Amino acid sequence: MIGLRRLGLRSRLIVVLVAVTVAGAAAAAWASAVSAGSAQTAQTRERLTGSVVATVESVAPQLTFPADESTLGTLRSAIGPDTAARAGALVARDGRIEALVSDELQAAVGGGDGVFTQQVVAEGMPWLVIGTPVMVIEPDGTRRRSGIEVYTAADLTGIDRELGALSLAAAGAAALTLPMSLLLAVLSANTVLRPVRELRATARRLAAGDLTARGRAQGRDELADLTATVDEMAESLQASMAEIRRMQADARRFVADVSHELRTPLSTLSAVLEVLDSTTAALGENVPDDARESAALAIAETHRLIRLVEDLMEVSRLDAGTAELRLEEIDLAAAVADCVRVRGWADLVTLSATGPVPARLDPRRVDVIVANLVGNALRHGRPPVRIEVTADGDRVEIEVTDAGPGLPEDVLPHVFARFYKADAARTRSPGSGLGLAIALQNARLHGGDVGAENRVEGGARFVVRMPREGGTR
Amino acid sequence: MRTVRAVPAVLAALVTTAALLTGCGVGPSGVEAAGPAPGGVAPGTTLYFVGQDGALRPELRETGRLGTVVDALALLLTGPGPASDLTTAIPGPPAPVPVVAARVTSIEIWLPFTAAEVPATGVDQIVCTALGVHRQSGGDPAATVQIRFTVPEPGSDRPRECPIPG
Repeated sequence: MIGLRRLGLRSRLIVVLVAVTVAGAAAAAWASAVSAGSAQTAQTRERLTGSVVATVESVAPQLTFPADESTLGTLRSAIGPDTAARAGALVARDGRIEALVSDELQAAVGGGDGVFTQQVVAEGMPWLVIGTPVMVIEPDGTRRRSGIEVYTAADLTGIDRELGALSLAAAGAAALTLPMSLLLAVLSANTVLRPVRELRATARRLAAGDLTARGRAQGRDELADLTATVDEMAESLQASMAEIRRMQADARRFVADVSHELRTPLSTLSAVLEVLDSTTAALGENVPDDARESAALAIAETHRLIRLVEDLMEVSRLDAGTAELRLEEIDLAAAVADCVRVRGWADLVTLSATGPVPARLDPRRVDVIVANLVGNALRHGRPPVRIEVTADGDRVEIEVTDAGPGLPEDVLPHVFARFYKADAARTRSPGSGLGLAIALQNARLHGGDVGAENRVEGGARFVVRMPREGGTR
Repeated sequence: MRTVRAVPAVLAALVTTAALLTGCGVGPSGVEAAGPAPGGVAPGTTLYFVGQDGALRPELRETGRLGTVVDALALLLTGPGPASDLTTAIPGPPAPVPVVAARVTSIEIWLPFTAAEVPATGVDQIVCTALGVHRQSGGDPAATVQIRFTVPEPGSDRPRECPIPG
């Protein structure tokens, strides 16, 4: 029964329909078999008792009365085998009749003036036991008991067999309905389930991202209503998605445009500040301290602004999907070492690699990834910062660890989010707030990923995993 | 919920099939009444003779059994016997035994007499004796007798009943 729940809707429908049909047919067949059986049993009983009464009445006028042994003997042999005739203490018996007569039947026969019957089963064989007193009828028609009683048993094995055959025929008739009901059940289940299957196909296409998928509502039933509702849902989903995409595209274009527009004036500003810087350096002691500090601050902030704009443009390109992978055969260990050296971090960072790690990756993006992770470690963690480059089969790994306080648990899930500030109070930091997001997106562009976690011994660990053949997963 | 609805259907099918295969044999039953008991034993034959007052009188002839209508008529034709104070209206000397055809509701008797030989009382003696035996052996109490004489009279073969009750 519980197994039924695991079956599909179709199988359940078929099982229930077949069960109901077969149960109905079986009940009808059973009812007719039972009524036919009881009719046949009743008919047999009537025939046997009628025959006993007729036999007794045909021999009774010739019987010596009051009864003696010859009376009982004649009666018994006239009726047949398995018979007993009794009068007071005198008995004439044949066969196994004594064992078949119940006390109940004897009481009924001994106290009445009619024929009584009882069906008994002895040693697996069904018998009909008939018992009757023999009456004396006076010339005026009054009846009194003569004291003679007759018991006889008829073997009902034949009837039993006929009833068994009847039951078998009924069972066969019920079984015959099985294939027909199965056929009907399959047909009707198909009718019911075809819309369900179509609906499922539509839902799958929608789930797979095909928002143009629509069902075909047929008829006016509940499933047609459902199909129409799903279509409406898909319609509004498609409209919403189109709107959202348009707004996203607008926002990205805006960021890209703003970044682009900012770059030119910033480049100019940077050049101007270089001049200012060299001028203040040339003037030396003649420049007041606060003016020198202001100039240094302006230069630092302008550089930061330029880096932010460059990061924003990088993010815009990544978002727009226009970023291209320029794959080259490189030694990843050497590429990482170059990245560290070029940025002047060689003294702050320990690099360990088991040897050359040949890989096919975009060297510029690898440089961006490593620079962002190491820069982040140097800014937020504490030295020693370690980089480990390893290869395992067709995957390469760059692990960046620091000895800082590690990442707070509530920050960990958002560490790759854009402009996410780990410490709300510390709104100013040298980073752009986009570094980790850019590292992650570059790793993903290669078909890889970046994971962040805290080390048991303290400090944060960032692990970049990429396929050795970049762009394959 | 569909499962919950399916369970009774499957159960019903199983129970019905099981009942079908097992419930249909001849099983034990209680004691059932099946009509009236047979009759027919009697200590003798009741014959009808004529009393001093000319009315019919039953007389039990203790033969030890009821016997048939033919047996009773044979005894009737031999007369009441010299020791009895009853007489018979059937003519003597003892004649051949009549032929009798007993059916459920009528008895047909062929008498070895002409219609004129037997007076009405004698016919009643024969009718009452025959009907008595018929009734005592379990026959229909409303049965009638049809008498065939060797030479009939108009209406002599009409259905007759015993004029005295019992």
